[in-house]
Amino acid sequence: MENYEIAIIGTGPAGISAAITAKVRNKKLLLAGSANLSEKLSKAHRIDNYPGLPGVSGADLAANLKKQLDELGIKITDKHAGGIYTFGDHFSIQLDNDFVDAQAVIIAGGIMQGKLLKGENEFLGRGVSYCATCDGRLYQGKKVAVLGYSSEAPEEAEYLSEIVNEVLYFPVKSGVPAERGNIQVLTEIPTAIQGDMKVNTLVTDKSEHKVDCVFVLRDAVPPESLVPGIETDGPHIKVNLQMETNIPGLYACGDIAGKPYQYIKAAGQGNVAALSAVRYLASRGNDTENDQKER
Amino acid sequence: MVTTVKNNDLSQAKKSKIAVVDFSATWCGPCRMTAPIMEELSEELKGQVDFFNCDVDENNSLAAEFGISSIPAIAVLKNGVLSDMTVGFRPKAALKDFILGGK
Repeated sequence: MENYEIAIIGTGPAGISAAITAKVRNKKLLLAGSANLSEKLSKAHRIDNYPGLPGVSGADLAANLKKQLDELGIKITDKHAGGIYTFGDHFSIQLDNDFVDAQAVIIAGGIMQGKLLKGENEFLGRGVSYCATCDGRLYQGKKVAVLGYSSEAPEEAEYLSEIVNEVLYFPVKSGVPAERGNIQVLTEIPTAIQGDMKVNTLVTDKSEHKVDCVFVLRDAVPPESLVPGIETDGPHIKVNLQMETNIPGLYACGDIAGKPYQYIKAAGQGNVAALSAVRYLASRGNDTENDQKER
Repeated sequence: MVTTVKNNDLSQAKKSKIAVVDFSATWCGPCRMTAPIMEELSEELKGQVDFFNCDVDENNSLAAEFGISSIPAIAVLKNGVLSDMTVGFRPKAALKDFILGGK
């Protein structure tokens, strides 16, 4: 298994800033996320408060960040982090279907847009799943709903259609899957998930559907599903001014670490998180560098 | 040591005063992360708690009996009766507390 000193999850300004600092400090690092960088960044029309770059467009800033990564020789691992598992002395991170180990982890994956569905949290693990590849096989021969909030959702629905009996696909914020006999695309807006012991119904603005499982596929998942044991504050991961979370060696920065949701704040926090991670590695005695340098 | 459940036969676990049954599968990432923790806990709690691993693909009807809809699912059985269940990966300390908390 590949072993990194610092793993950084997310390719917005926070994650990239953290990666730049970690690289400058000569750490073996992993930067995982969309190779096209955070969509929120590239879609920004104009950013007026980024010092030194007045009125920069999100697309230009993204292009520059990419250039900077290239020049520093930082590669983006274009994979989705499905879970970060704490083992005390290290972390294991699930990236799609692979696992990597890291001594420190920086979460900069952004915040989940929009609200949870009614019943979503209540039925999580009892018929609500965030991961088709993780839980799909439990629904062999059954009928499932897939709620597409992310660009990868159609692909996951296609995967599910090979396992389950029937897929109801709701393209809330995504494209649609390829045509398959057992995928039905419904342009309704999901509103609630219901059941008794387990999920049995998906409610939409127009109708109700009897299903055995609801796969809710978003770009970002609630932090407590990404990192079991993490302390949160509403939709955010709880951090201090050093970007430390309640788990030693685990840091959060950018939108996931709280408001304001600003590019410049994210970039600054990414820098702090990386320096904290560097200090953490040094405190564990696997760093020969002078620890004073970052101050 | 973690005993592997075969042929949907949970009778050995049901005989234990306290048994922990880890419902998992080879294709499930968080399950693979949980397995070594179960192994360690089975050593630490030797003589107090018996540990079992139940592959849901191999033991379909047991998984259905316990209403498993997401894995890993970790069930605590006291004298053969289900007393508590938790779903998803949990760090070792939390898992230990969960198992002993049901004591």
